[in-house]
Amino acid sequence: MSCVITGMGAVAAVGGGPEQIFTALCAGTSGLTKLRAFDLNRYRAHHAYEIDDRTGPGRDEPLRATRWLVDAVEQACADGGLTPAARVPVLLGTTLREQRSVELWWRGEGEVSAADLHFGPALRRRFGFTRTYTFANACAATLYALGLATDLLDLGMADAVVVAGTDAITESAFGTLDRVQNRTPEALRPFDRARAGMLMGEGASAVVVRRDGDGDRPALARIRGVSMNCDAYHPTAPDPAGIAAAMHAAHTRAGLGPDEIDLVMLHGSGTELNDAAEATALHAVFGDAAARPLMTAIKSMTGHTLGGSGLLSLIVAVLSLHRGVVPPIAGLTDPADEAAGLRLVSGTAATAPLRTAQVDAFGFGGINAVAVVERS
Amino acid sequence: MTGPGRPAAVTGIGLAVSGLGTPDDLLQPDGAEEAFDPATGLTGRAMRHKDRASRFALRAAADALRDAGLLTGATFAGPASRTCVVVSTNFGNLDSVCTFADTIAEDSVLGLSPLGLPHTSSNSVAGWLAIEYGLRGPNLTVCNGGTGGLDALFWARAMIAADRADVALVVGVEPDTAPVARLVGHRPRLDGAAAVVLESVPHRRSRGAPPRAVITACTHGAALPDAVRAVRGTDRQPVGLWLTPAGPRPGDAASSWCATTRDLTARLGECSGALGVLQCVAGVSYLDASGPGAVLATSADGPDHTAVAALLLTAPGQAS
Repeated sequence: MSCVITGMGAVAAVGGGPEQIFTALCAGTSGLTKLRAFDLNRYRAHHAYEIDDRTGPGRDEPLRATRWLVDAVEQACADGGLTPAARVPVLLGTTLREQRSVELWWRGEGEVSAADLHFGPALRRRFGFTRTYTFANACAATLYALGLATDLLDLGMADAVVVAGTDAITESAFGTLDRVQNRTPEALRPFDRARAGMLMGEGASAVVVRRDGDGDRPALARIRGVSMNCDAYHPTAPDPAGIAAAMHAAHTRAGLGPDEIDLVMLHGSGTELNDAAEATALHAVFGDAAARPLMTAIKSMTGHTLGGSGLLSLIVAVLSLHRGVVPPIAGLTDPADEAAGLRLVSGTAATAPLRTAQVDAFGFGGINAVAVVERS
Repeated sequence: MTGPGRPAAVTGIGLAVSGLGTPDDLLQPDGAEEAFDPATGLTGRAMRHKDRASRFALRAAADALRDAGLLTGATFAGPASRTCVVVSTNFGNLDSVCTFADTIAEDSVLGLSPLGLPHTSSNSVAGWLAIEYGLRGPNLTVCNGGTGGLDALFWARAMIAADRADVALVVGVEPDTAPVARLVGHRPRLDGAAAVVLESVPHRRSRGAPPRAVITACTHGAALPDAVRAVRGTDRQPVGLWLTPAGPRPGDAASSWCATTRDLTARLGECSGALGVLQCVAGVSYLDASGPGAVLATSADGPDHTAVAALLLTAPGQAS
């Protein structure tokens, strides 16, 4: 059986919808700014890719992640011609849930209830969805959710599924990462020799997935296969072997060889460890074909949008497949050694006829998910 | 959506709950002969640098894997790349999140320990479980409110049905920490974890492991009567034990087909995302003791119970 994407929605620092985000990324526009609400005196890193929607400057507020999620889901349902209904499963991927709201509540700066922690109650109130599942699967969360959505459709347990993800930056995660990174990045620069580490971004993403032939909207892309696994190696560091296994499994599920992949949306989180592990895995899986596909990393302009990042990459990939245009990796001027032999897009957007794309998403806990999509 | 139509068998259960001993204690009115004590039970080399939720989860998982015959010593003896991990927790890492926010406010990020990094993400428990036993299959963390435990069992079963795994280690865990106490309004609350090993029938048979129970159906919906009807199926299985939390109460109509109802939260307090897995462990314990009929487990989410989950557990039969 075959699953297709019929609707898309997204919110990020660089735009409030898929088209706006895609246009910004192709123009090399970055959402990077100084931290908008955290106290700079308490951090070494002072930059992030935040969404500028707080009601006042310099003061944070709860439930922003929920707000973006509702926005992205609304966009995707409208785009996909899906009328929200109780029977439609909604699979949500997130790294941090509403933990930023918990921090504000704990510090006496906002209110939160246990029901706010996951996103089901908000989606029930807004859309009437009752079959909602929140998966806290770190930065592979939305591609995990996408894979599980295709399983539900394949098993005949649903006719349409909404897959979505969201994350707002928390002090605990931003701060601990800041503490751990050896250098203090002023921008997220995947595969560049001058990279200094990861910086977080904010945003939400959503798609409507259906069985091919169902619904009255044309398919935007076909989902050829989604793999998911776990390194079982280290709580935060990636393992090239686990990543390679996930890539290989995705190709097998897709029924495609590595020489049939036209575009790779890299996880590209801007850390030396990730870049090395991802490049090693790509060489191991693609072999001689590693130099063939175009490769890009949108986190260089959106920041690492955590749980929703995999699906945001996928949404950009779908638009790239249709337009034949691939956004560049912003800030990539001097490729690191491990970039050798990979066709990384730098400088300006690349143009090429494209049919298939691989999307990578890796997260804490050593969890990996890789999706392969095809233009329809 | 009650399930893929392919049964999955429970082959092991485990429990690590403050104040309880064996799984049988879940259905006893009070007391336990050898109760688990976190002060001594959550120590040891494997527990270093892990949060309270992860330590409880590791203890319960070890018991369940041993019960399923999947440990040789402390080493996993099953199919590592075909074993998935599914964890349900809502409060698991809130102590880390709040403590780190306090530290930043008081000492800046320089006061933080780098060792805390894994616990900033809500999926750290599942990651530690995978690392401990080398489990390289899908690794899923369900944070879905009060229905999360039963939802975790639903997804474990779905991943087996979709051929992503042959074995699933399912853990429900909620630690009793300061933020949890404040968040649930200082009501009694669980401090512990429950674990279930779920297996595809062909895999269970291939290694000759005895089936303890079968998850016949599970569902997630808006209304309790519909969910119960859905999991009982067209043959209207007689229910010997209905495990139901406070809130959605079995109506009078239940008395005709349900012998006994039991609310685990009456003894354990707020169980949140661990409840469904605790119910499953209690249900297997009931069936182990040759309790009559099937076991129905239900749970609800949100202050107005606008989402419910239901699961039907039956004694092993020819198809399991």
